[in-house]
Amino acid sequence: MGERGFYLETKDPIIKFAITEKFLNLARANSLWPITFGLACCAIEMMATAMARFDIDRFGAGIFRASPRQSDLMIVSGTVTKKMAPTLVTLYEQMPSPKWVIAMGNCAISGGPFVFEGQYNLIEGVDLLVPVDVYIPGCPPRPEGLLEGLMKLEEKITGKRRFPTPEAKW
Amino acid sequence: MVEKVKEALRIKIADINITEISYAERGYHLSIEAQKGNIVSVVELFEGKGFYLADLCCVDYVDYLELVYFFNHHKELCRSRVTLKVESDRPVAPTISHIYTMARWYEREIHEFFGVYFEGHPNLTYLFLHEGIDYYPLRKNQIPIPADDKKLLNSFKPEEEEDAFFINLGPQHPSTHGVLRVVIKMDGEYILSAEPVLGYLHRMHEKMAENRTYQQFLPNPGRMDYMGALNFNLAHVTTVEKLCGIEVPERAQYIRTITCELNRIGSHLLWVGAFLADLGGLTPFLYVFDDREQILDILEAVTGSRLTYCYFRFGGLYNDVDDAFVDATKQFITRLRSRFAMYEKLITKNVIFINRVKGIGIIEQGMIRKYGSSGPVIRSTGMPFDIRKVEPYAAYDKIDFEIPTGTTGDNMDRYMVRMKEMEISLGIIEEAIKKLPSGPFKAEKVPKKLKPPRGDMYHTVESPRGELGVYVVSDESDTPYRMRWRVPSFSNLMTFPALARGTLIADAIATLGSYDIVVPEIDR
Repeated sequence: MGERGFYLETKDPIIKFAITEKFLNLARANSLWPITFGLACCAIEMMATAMARFDIDRFGAGIFRASPRQSDLMIVSGTVTKKMAPTLVTLYEQMPSPKWVIAMGNCAISGGPFVFEGQYNLIEGVDLLVPVDVYIPGCPPRPEGLLEGLMKLEEKITGKRRFPTPEAKW
Repeated sequence: MVEKVKEALRIKIADINITEISYAERGYHLSIEAQKGNIVSVVELFEGKGFYLADLCCVDYVDYLELVYFFNHHKELCRSRVTLKVESDRPVAPTISHIYTMARWYEREIHEFFGVYFEGHPNLTYLFLHEGIDYYPLRKNQIPIPADDKKLLNSFKPEEEEDAFFINLGPQHPSTHGVLRVVIKMDGEYILSAEPVLGYLHRMHEKMAENRTYQQFLPNPGRMDYMGALNFNLAHVTTVEKLCGIEVPERAQYIRTITCELNRIGSHLLWVGAFLADLGGLTPFLYVFDDREQILDILEAVTGSRLTYCYFRFGGLYNDVDDAFVDATKQFITRLRSRFAMYEKLITKNVIFINRVKGIGIIEQGMIRKYGSSGPVIRSTGMPFDIRKVEPYAAYDKIDFEIPTGTTGDNMDRYMVRMKEMEISLGIIEEAIKKLPSGPFKAEKVPKKLKPPRGDMYHTVESPRGELGVYVVSDESDTPYRMRWRVPSFSNLMTFPALARGTLIADAIATLGSYDIVVPEIDR
């Protein structure tokens, strides 16, 4: 278990081709293949995001792979328990680089509603195990929230936001 | 039935303490105090009379531990509570796992959470907890696990067996059932044995209940079973209402019925999609989600959330429904009725589907009593057992509906029962809307701080997966002394090892999918 916010891959590659890298990043951002990693309630909202109404496929992230070796995005959707933690780390390590992690929901961010004094079975935040790129709050977050998180990740990869931010109504 | 049991017990065991309890006040008819010497013969008697083991739990009273056995009969309602006192220092009790197979898991659970040793139990290893834990979590005082017990708990190590081929089904599973792990020992394509390993989503709900007030625990049940959140919410709320003697207005009862049935349809719809996805057909998944989103829209408008509802309050509801809700529900009923014909064409009459499910995973009627199965799993065997009919809650006693049953108890029957149940749920909603009375939606004068009188309460509701029981022990404070959740998926899943033995792995997947298990509910 590392410290909060501990990043594994912070070093830049030794040789960097600026334009190729830019092009590659654009490709990566538009074809994020998530691993099917449903843990708890948030997984149902993740599934709802993949279905017809919200259709995550519009952003190229609809191909949920069952094998970690074919995917480059892990959406941690739910509570991570101490029993599950080793499996989660193994799956993360099996994913080929470059790879990203979205912590979906309060449980994955900090343990959420299940943290209390004397708790014995919870990892209080998935960022204690693996580096997290985007945090999506909510219990569970709405599908729109997950899509917005995906936009944020694309922004992080390519450096600029592809879609305009929705107007704030309130 | 109550009299019969009393008489038989008196004849078999002379000096046994039997008290008749008011069912309306406590939720069970008989209370029997057994001793270590005669508990096995008491349980044998219940088994002989055709009872099933509804629940087995433990309560820590610091000076002593109390094992609580709940029995019920499928045909005649007769809930009986058998208690057995064991000492708190290295507690030992005789096992009943040779009489009721389901007790095998219940006893393992009690062993790891309370440290009770069951003499004669074949396999006392960890079922829920991780290996790093060094005390018994649900004990009131922190009692360390002795070294020899720890060795016993950690003895399930399938990877160390050399001459066998194992497949790990899960815990990361490309389906919707959550993080369940089944260790399957294979012989070629055939399964020699299947051993479920639970606890990958154990979120300490029962411990949390002891740490917070009744009101603070309100959001938790919805997270236990996120597919039938309203039903779990209702179970918690009605148990506490009955314990405190709070009257609920008529209108609230009807709205509870309507929303719970909507929730049930949503759960069944998702199950159809997930089951078909397990079998390899992904198309129905998209169709059912289309319908399910309509339900979510209706419920979101009144409850305020899409998934983990917390709508019911002690004595009523969070807010009233309006005409828009009624209109939307009526529209949804017409819509879903027109979709059933499409589902029939798409799934029910599909030859590939029929060949994959017909005659596979047969649960016999003799089995369900030993395993304590409930819900669609038991109804598929032809037993018309439904808590909504047997022990009506909310407004179910004022609504006329039938219980669909199957004949053989195979995967096809479980599918058909759930499909029919959705149609019947639509009928219930329709009738409830017709009868929906006006009036208050919330009881007046519900105290802010609930302090139920000393005593216990067992209450059951029919969740989409089956019989859901809540056992609350109150000590007159504003937090429950012990809150035990008897969850349906737990006992339904117990039949899986027996059904999977000797079948092909692809068939076992179909059987596993047909249970409609929700893992957070099993793990609690």
